Amino acid sequence: MNLKDSMDPRIEELLPFYALDALTDEERELVDSYLAEHPEAREQMKELHSAASGLPYGISPVEPPRQVKESLMARVNADAGVRVPSSVQVPRQAARRAVWFENLFQVFSLGAAAVAIIWAVILNTQVSRLQTEISGLHATLAKQADTLEQILVNLPKSPSNVITVSISGTNVQPSAHGQLIADPKEESAVLIISGLPKLEVNQTYQVWLGSGGTMVSAGLLSIDANGQGVVVVTSNESIGSFNKLGISVEPQGGSPQPTGDIVVFSDI
Amino acid sequence: MASNKNATNVSVRINNESNLLHAPDETLVIQVARGNPAALEVLYDRYASIVLGISVKVLGDQELAEDILQETFWRVWQSAGTYQSQLGSFTGWLFRIARNLAVDAYRRRNVRPQAISGVEGSEPILDEMPDPSTDVAEQAQSILKNRQIRKALASLPGVQRQVIEMAYFYGMTRQEIAEVTGEALGTIHTRARLALQKLRGEFERDEFEG
Repeated sequence: MNLKDSMDPRIEELLPFYALDALTDEERELVDSYLAEHPEAREQMKELHSAASGLPYGISPVEPPRQVKESLMARVNADAGVRVPSSVQVPRQAARRAVWFENLFQVFSLGAAAVAIIWAVILNTQVSRLQTEISGLHATLAKQADTLEQILVNLPKSPSNVITVSISGTNVQPSAHGQLIADPKEESAVLIISGLPKLEVNQTYQVWLGSGGTMVSAGLLSIDANGQGVVVVTSNESIGSFNKLGISVEPQGGSPQPTGDIVVFSDI
Repeated sequence: MASNKNATNVSVRINNESNLLHAPDETLVIQVARGNPAALEVLYDRYASIVLGISVKVLGDQELAEDILQETFWRVWQSAGTYQSQLGSFTGWLFRIARNLAVDAYRRRNVRPQAISGVEGSEPILDEMPDPSTDVAEQAQSILKNRQIRKALASLPGVQRQVIEMAYFYGMTRQEIAEVTGEALGTIHTRARLALQKLRGEFERDEFEG
C-alpha cells in the first residue's frame, strides 16, 4: 500500500468540508492535490459542491439601501474613468519646424486630448446611466410579462390542483389588483399584487385570510417602487379552507387583527 | 453621414446595454473585466440582496453587512479578470467572496453567532420566509428557488443541517464544530457528507439548478 492509498479515507472525509469551504489552507491544499489525481473524487466533489452551492438561496435575501449601490457605483465609475486607456499620441513634428511651434502644438494637443478624454468620460458615464435606465425599463416590462408564466410553469407539481383567483381592490384603493395562485390543499400560496401606493416608513401591508367572519394574518407584504409585490401567503390551515383574502395597512411589524384601511378584499 | 453613423453606434450600444440585462452571468463578468460598470450594475441588481442576506446572517449587523456587500462587489470589479468559469459558477464565486469577507469580519470582532440552527431554543439560520426584493420577477424566482431549498433543507435531520450551517455560514472548522456540539469528529464528518448527499438528491428530484 503506498502513501496515497493510505491517505484516501482521511482525505475523502474532508471533501464535504471542502465543498462547504470550511477547511484550513493546509487541508485545502491536501484536497486539491488529491482531486488532481483522482477523477472519481472530482466527480464526487462536483456533486457535493452542487449541493453546497444552493445554501445561499435558503436564507432570506435582504434588500440593500439605495445608497449602498450609489456609493459602490460612484467608486466604480471613478475607477473606470481612471482605467480609460490613454492613447494620446503627440504627433511628431518635422525636424525642420521651429521648436516654438512644436512645443505650442504639443501643448495644444495635450490640452485638447485631456479635454476630449474628460468629456468622453463624462459622456460615457451619462450614456451608460441612461442606457441602464432604458434597459431596466425594458427588462422590467418583459419580466413582469413572464412572471405569471414562470410561476405556473415552475410552482405546481400537479397543475390540475392549482387555481388562480383574481384579486381586486376596495373603494379605498380601487387600482389594486392581482392574482392568488394556490393549491387549495396546500397551506401556502403565491400572491401577486399591483397598484398599491407606497406607505409611510412606519407602516406595512398585511395579508389576511378569512373564513366565517374571522380573519387570520397570512404575512406581511412589501411592494416595489411600481406598487407591485409578490409574497408567499401562509397559514396553519389549507388555503381551501378560507373564502376571503384581504390586505390592510398596518403599523410596522403588523397587527394581530386588521386595524387600518382595507385596500384589498376579495372572495377566493 | 457622420452624424448618422454616430446615431447608429449609439443605437447599437443601447441594444448591447439592453442585452446586458438578459446576459448570462459569465458574459457579464467578462464585461466587468473589460471595465464596463453597467455590467457590474446588472450583477449587483441580480445578487445584492442575496449577498446582503448572507452577510446579515453571518454578522447579525446590518451596517457592517452593508460594508461587506459593497466590498464584495468592489472585489468583483477589481478581480473579474481572475474569475474562471471552468472552475465554477459566478454565483458560487460571488457568494464565496461575500461569505469569506463576512466570516473574516465576524472573526475580527471575535463574536460568535447568537443563534445556530439545531441548538435548542435558537432560530434556524436558513429562514422559513423569503423576503421580497424590489423586482417582482426576481421575487417570484427567488420565492420558487427558496421554496425548493427550504423544502430540501427541511428534509434533513436537524443535527445534519446544523453541521453544514456551522461550516458554511460561520466558516467553522470540523474540529470547532465537534467541540461546540460535543460530538466525535467522525460523527461530524458523517453528518456533513450525509447532509450534502441528501440535499443533492432533493435538488435533483426537484430539478433544482443551483
